[in-house]
Amino acid sequence: MILDYPYMFLSVVVPMVISLVFPFVDMDKKAFATISTVLLLIPLAIVSWLSIIGGLNEPILDPIFFRDPSVGTFSMLLDSISAPLAISIGLVTSMISWYSLRYMEHRFEEMEEEGHKPPGWGVYYMLYILFSAAMMGTVLSTNLIEFYIFLEISLLPSFLLIAFYGYGKRERIALLYLIWTHVGALAFLVGSLVLGLNVGTFDYFNPVRAVANLGLGEQLPASIITPVFIAILIGLFVKMAVFGVHIWLPYAHAEAPTPVSALLSPNLIGIAAYAMIRIAYVLFPSEFESLAPYMLGLALLTIIYGGLMALAQDDFKRFLAYSSVSQMGYLLMGIASVTAIGMAGAILHYAAHAVGKALLFATAGVLITQLHGLRSIGKMGGLAPKMPITASLALIGFMHITGIPPSLGLWSEVLILAGVSNFAVAINQFFWVVLFLLVGIGLSTAYSFITMRRIFFGHPSEAAGEAKEAGITLLGPMIIIAAVGLLLFLVPQLLVDPMIRALESLLG
Amino acid sequence: MVNYAILTWLVPYIGAVLALVFSKLERVRDVIAALALFISALLSTIVLQEVISSSEGVIHVSYPWISTFGVTFGVYVDSLAAFMAFIVAWLSFLIGVYSLKYMEGDPGLTRYWFFFDFFVGSMLLLVLADNLILMFMGWEGTGLASYALIGHWYTDKDEKCVGDVGRKALGVPMWFSPSHSGLRAIVFTRLGDVGFIAAIGAIYYFTGTLSIPALAENVAGWAGPLAKAGVLFPFLLVFSLGAMAKSAQFPFHEWLVTAMTGPTPVSALIHAATMVKAGVYFLLRFSPIFMLAAHSVPGAAPQVHAYFSAIALIGGFTAFFMATQALVARELKLILAFSTASQLGYMFLALGSAGLIAEFPMGFLAGFSHLMSHAIFKASLFLAAGAIIHAVESKYIDDMGGLSSFMKATFLAMSIAALSLAGVPPLMGFWSKDTIIEVAKESEMFLPFFFGVVTAALTAFYSTRMVVRTFLYEKSHNVEHLEKEHELHEAHPLMLVPYLVLALISLIGGLVWPIYGPELLSEMVKSVLGIEEVFHPEIHLDIGLLATSLVMVFLGIGIAWILYQTGSGRSAVISITENPVGKALYNFLYDRWYLNSIYYIVIVGGFAALSRGIFKYFDSLIVDGFYHKFIPWITERFSTLGFKYFETEVIDDTYHDRVVRMFKAFGSAVRKVQTGLVNQYLVMFFLGLMLILLYLLWVG
Repeated sequence: MILDYPYMFLSVVVPMVISLVFPFVDMDKKAFATISTVLLLIPLAIVSWLSIIGGLNEPILDPIFFRDPSVGTFSMLLDSISAPLAISIGLVTSMISWYSLRYMEHRFEEMEEEGHKPPGWGVYYMLYILFSAAMMGTVLSTNLIEFYIFLEISLLPSFLLIAFYGYGKRERIALLYLIWTHVGALAFLVGSLVLGLNVGTFDYFNPVRAVANLGLGEQLPASIITPVFIAILIGLFVKMAVFGVHIWLPYAHAEAPTPVSALLSPNLIGIAAYAMIRIAYVLFPSEFESLAPYMLGLALLTIIYGGLMALAQDDFKRFLAYSSVSQMGYLLMGIASVTAIGMAGAILHYAAHAVGKALLFATAGVLITQLHGLRSIGKMGGLAPKMPITASLALIGFMHITGIPPSLGLWSEVLILAGVSNFAVAINQFFWVVLFLLVGIGLSTAYSFITMRRIFFGHPSEAAGEAKEAGITLLGPMIIIAAVGLLLFLVPQLLVDPMIRALESLLG
Repeated sequence: MVNYAILTWLVPYIGAVLALVFSKLERVRDVIAALALFISALLSTIVLQEVISSSEGVIHVSYPWISTFGVTFGVYVDSLAAFMAFIVAWLSFLIGVYSLKYMEGDPGLTRYWFFFDFFVGSMLLLVLADNLILMFMGWEGTGLASYALIGHWYTDKDEKCVGDVGRKALGVPMWFSPSHSGLRAIVFTRLGDVGFIAAIGAIYYFTGTLSIPALAENVAGWAGPLAKAGVLFPFLLVFSLGAMAKSAQFPFHEWLVTAMTGPTPVSALIHAATMVKAGVYFLLRFSPIFMLAAHSVPGAAPQVHAYFSAIALIGGFTAFFMATQALVARELKLILAFSTASQLGYMFLALGSAGLIAEFPMGFLAGFSHLMSHAIFKASLFLAAGAIIHAVESKYIDDMGGLSSFMKATFLAMSIAALSLAGVPPLMGFWSKDTIIEVAKESEMFLPFFFGVVTAALTAFYSTRMVVRTFLYEKSHNVEHLEKEHELHEAHPLMLVPYLVLALISLIGGLVWPIYGPELLSEMVKSVLGIEEVFHPEIHLDIGLLATSLVMVFLGIGIAWILYQTGSGRSAVISITENPVGKALYNFLYDRWYLNSIYYIVIVGGFAALSRGIFKYFDSLIVDGFYHKFIPWITERFSTLGFKYFETEVIDDTYHDRVVRMFKAFGSAVRKVQTGLVNQYLVMFFLGLMLILLYLLWVG
């Protein structure tokens, strides 16, 4: 279905444009927060509404809003594959925008005490909206260049958010983040340019015929197919922070201001996993299939490695960052199965991880605001009696990332593992894969529940003495995110059925 | 029409949610939570009645849920599921009633009721589910509830711990706080669940369905290729991994021992009567299907045979291994926990043997009836233990003794239930355990049979020891002290009635077993999925075997009686434990064969060291160092070296100059970047972006 007007494009661009005036207006912080939350609810409302009216049974497209003979066409695409991402991004970014108000209040006070004078509320919310809306744009794109431009637009504000409001050596870490993501982006861009210029279009999805340009990349001269594919893959791997190129993530995600961590960790990096399907697989299906067993190995390694590293952390945010590395392994694992259920599981796990990791980073933020900047897990303990709601929300967060019902994570875990089992049986490696899964999932369960215990249970720590529950301004948005995760558990078929059907037809 | 079987598991979930909703109205909340259990129990009765009276004996309803993945929202109730649900639902209700009194005044009661009802819903769901994913969901739900309830008293006060505070074995602490125990439970059981779900995935790959009845109908579809590849045996083990972990079979048994940190009703319901039986239920549900595979799939028989042998061996060993630890335990609940794992071992032994004998249903029923009788008498024992611990304010049997005169009804209930556990005729436990030993003998595997027989004596010993040390023996100082304060009295009726009723069922059920047993058994096996032949159970006693097992039982009881109820016996106990060999053996058993310590040293310690070591030497030093130290350093070196090289030695001046300028610019740019001025990064970034855009325009 092609819409009459580019509603999706407008829902992404209008908030961006409006936000550009923020630095120049003098408004109360509450007004900024409210406007920003409302602006970010617009794309959420649009994608939710479009998902509901069409039931996600056919692709919904904006009319083409840019066309160029060599670049191709720019449109925006909402289908069963992009919808779970778009909805997660809409949900998390709007709720965390509300959450930011109280958190950043605390952060501003803290920075002023340290003698810094960071740019004010207008700049914060401008950057926040640019970052959030650009992620939405990336996910809805249909063209490599369009994808790349939105990705760039998301990187710049997130870089500045870290540089302005982050922790520790924030400027150095912001730069490190910028360079790393550009190394990835550059590899991706080079691959895309070679591809697009040779085959004559950058469209990975044809908005006129409403089908994916399956196998487009394999029209390249045989000698450059693999290098181009590898370049794109490397770009996505860096973005996803799989084992070997993961090292930037713990720095950036741990030291970013916490609301930004809550967006970076689940929302931004997972987009690369989405691009693995939407771009890498679509353009190079047979190359992809031939590399799939190795990707499965890499995924298992990433799960185990990320889990081991998470166990070694004492800083709660750094712990969550390594957990994200491990979680990206799960996404990659589902994708590497090259089965409709495994890939659907990966996409669904993007949503489950968005809910779970947003809750957990928000928990870290609650602890930071309530316990005077405390991030060291070793100094926490026994907080549950004082902060029962926070503890429950954190538990729901951990349930989402470990796949325990009644959380959406159960479905994504089941689908991913079913897909991987299918693939493992097909390549005759079932028992090896089970063995590594035992270690990997064992580690994920262990680090989650060990941390839950270290923070919330046991003898009351010194920190627990004066701890008290945060107010509605921090917990309200968290409760909404958690509720969505639990409600989606009951109706997974709304997302999963159309997604599996679409992936089945894509995989042939 | 509303389906009662679906409601049976749905109602407790609704109760759980309502408990949250009414958290502020305490009495209303408690009553609603218990009422939901009562309704569910009534529904389960209706369902059982429907299944027994209907001609095909099966209720199968299913609605699509995730249709592209074959997940349905439905129930498959054959005689197995119907009886199981009936037992689970009624036990849950009785234990719920007990909780009303036992947990009164606990500050975390909303949480308690939420997870209690959530557990019951999940347990019934896993029993009644018509497809593997739904079953898995219930399975995981019980795990979550178990985790939460084991750690109910999560502030980890010393008196809520299991084990002797301060005791170490091989340097590893041997006392476990509630939050630690909850963690152990969820990690141990989820390890097994990985195998379960991976196997479900593989079955889906072969058959394209997740329906449980379809697993039986299309047995060749999935077992065929696996048998052909020669991997059916390991595959079945992987599939059963979740069952082994859930039912605390060796080597996954450790979590159940420390699960005793949970409130006693929780130990009774989840860690004795129901959830730990989920693994046995798994075997009851699927082993008939494995037998179908052995009969109908070419080449499968020897592999299925190997599988059943492994199950029998694991079960037999667990029965023996855990019973030895119960011999010396000093905490009342720990004796019962070891005993539970040991009895679960018996059930595994029964089902393993079932696959090795001519009449599979006989072994099947041995396991199933022992599951039932154990659920009843063990729930009774735990609930009674809760009342006793409550009364004497100590978990140690050393602080008990001589309680029979204060708690007569409790003494009666616990004695009956303990005799049933010990396998004394004519109690229910006798009938079911004896059949297990019989099928173990018929399986012609020596070791499991041997374990089964020896364990009979051990069970009788520790059961007797437990009752004697609690109710008879001499009064401990603690009891004398409490007596003076007039604090010892019988339990509140809300607590007493449930365990007394259960003990009496165990007695009466045993008395009428020879008359009604066969009929009941034939109803239980009537419509079980995968058992196609008609089976007429009968009670026949193998005299030689009966004599052996009775000798074992009375030997155990006699020795325990002499050691703990006579003066000379007591001094013998003291001299045995003071003798170096005796002491070493005592410590070996008391510290659980040192297996817990070995797990902590090897696995926990291993992973912790691996995690710290890799983080320190690989992640921080090599990976971080390579990208963030070495690469910047080498870049800088190249830049300076190249500068020098060009300047001093190579090429002619004009050409030279331009390159130098370029490098200089590069160098100063690098230096500027390192000054950390954000504005400059921005400019650089925009320039980069512009270049790309320019390039695109140029291309266009």
